[in-house]
Amino acid sequence: MIKVGLFYIVVIGACYAWFWRRDRQKTAKSLQVARQSLLRVVPLLIAIFGLIGLFETYCPPELIKSWLGAESGVLALLTGGLAGAVAIGPPLAAFPLAGSLLESGAWAPAVATFIVSWISVGVVTLPFEASVFGTRFALLRNLLAFAAALLIGLCVGLLL
Amino acid sequence: MSSQSKPFGLWGLIRSQWLLLLAVGLYLWAFAVSPEQASRALGSAAARLASVAPLVLAVMGLVGLIQVWVSRDLVARLLGREAGFRALLIAALCGTILIGPAYLIFPMLLAIQKQGARWAVIVIVLATYAVKLQMIPLEVGFLGWKFSLMRIVFTMLLAIPVGLLVEWIVERPERRRTREP
Repeated sequence: MIKVGLFYIVVIGACYAWFWRRDRQKTAKSLQVARQSLLRVVPLLIAIFGLIGLFETYCPPELIKSWLGAESGVLALLTGGLAGAVAIGPPLAAFPLAGSLLESGAWAPAVATFIVSWISVGVVTLPFEASVFGTRFALLRNLLAFAAALLIGLCVGLLL
Repeated sequence: MSSQSKPFGLWGLIRSQWLLLLAVGLYLWAFAVSPEQASRALGSAAARLASVAPLVLAVMGLVGLIQVWVSRDLVARLLGREAGFRALLIAALCGTILIGPAYLIFPMLLAIQKQGARWAVIVIVLATYAVKLQMIPLEVGFLGWKFSLMRIVFTMLLAIPVGLLVEWIVERPERRRTREP
């Protein structure tokens, strides 16, 4: 991640250098906007990462796995969706976890719901999303993304 | 970030930084209950924050460039209401190829929305973002191509209806206000 970040800093820095030569005033304004949004985002990011750290330690993937047993039906689908919604971590971690769930006999629609919900619904990042876009939008988007995750999971699982 | 006013005093601090205060409070509690686990949590949080710090810096630089250099007309023409269905398709495409953690995508999307992109575009990008193009090989490896393919197809199919629905509900109070003079 650090390498990717440094790469992007170089790219964006080069953009700034190029724009600086074209129009100093506008580029200075860009820098000012960047600084302002950075200052606004940093405390939020510290908070979110702090919460993620707590969450990982007190609610590890093994715990989530134990929620998703081999049950099936509406309840399993909801459990899959909710587990995905509260789960935190890179999607990179979602796939092996989902694979082991399928192997241990979990219901396929619940597993598919779990993945989609993991990636597109974020309960822990909800406060952050709300402070960026407004509470109404954030709640609505997550709610509908959750509903979509249930629907996608059901379709995938039943067609499989 | 949606509130532009700057409140002062203790209440203002609580209102603007409640999330940070909540995190600090939870850590104090965690340290009181189980110091070992709490320090592990703090360590992993700090390591992660340090690893994304350069990326955060780069993205905020990009936000500055978008807000100043990308013209409102261009964004409105490509991603606004006047672009029609094409805007939604562009959003779906961008969402699938977008990489990076969600919390960095939010500020970037807000910058684009402020420049005239419609709300549905934001929702569609965040929905198709779940496709994760670059991770498909991995997903196929763990779950099989059939599972992966169908998950992606249905994610794409639902993105646009969900986007339009969220936009319709979000903009409802505004519409009501404009209807009643």
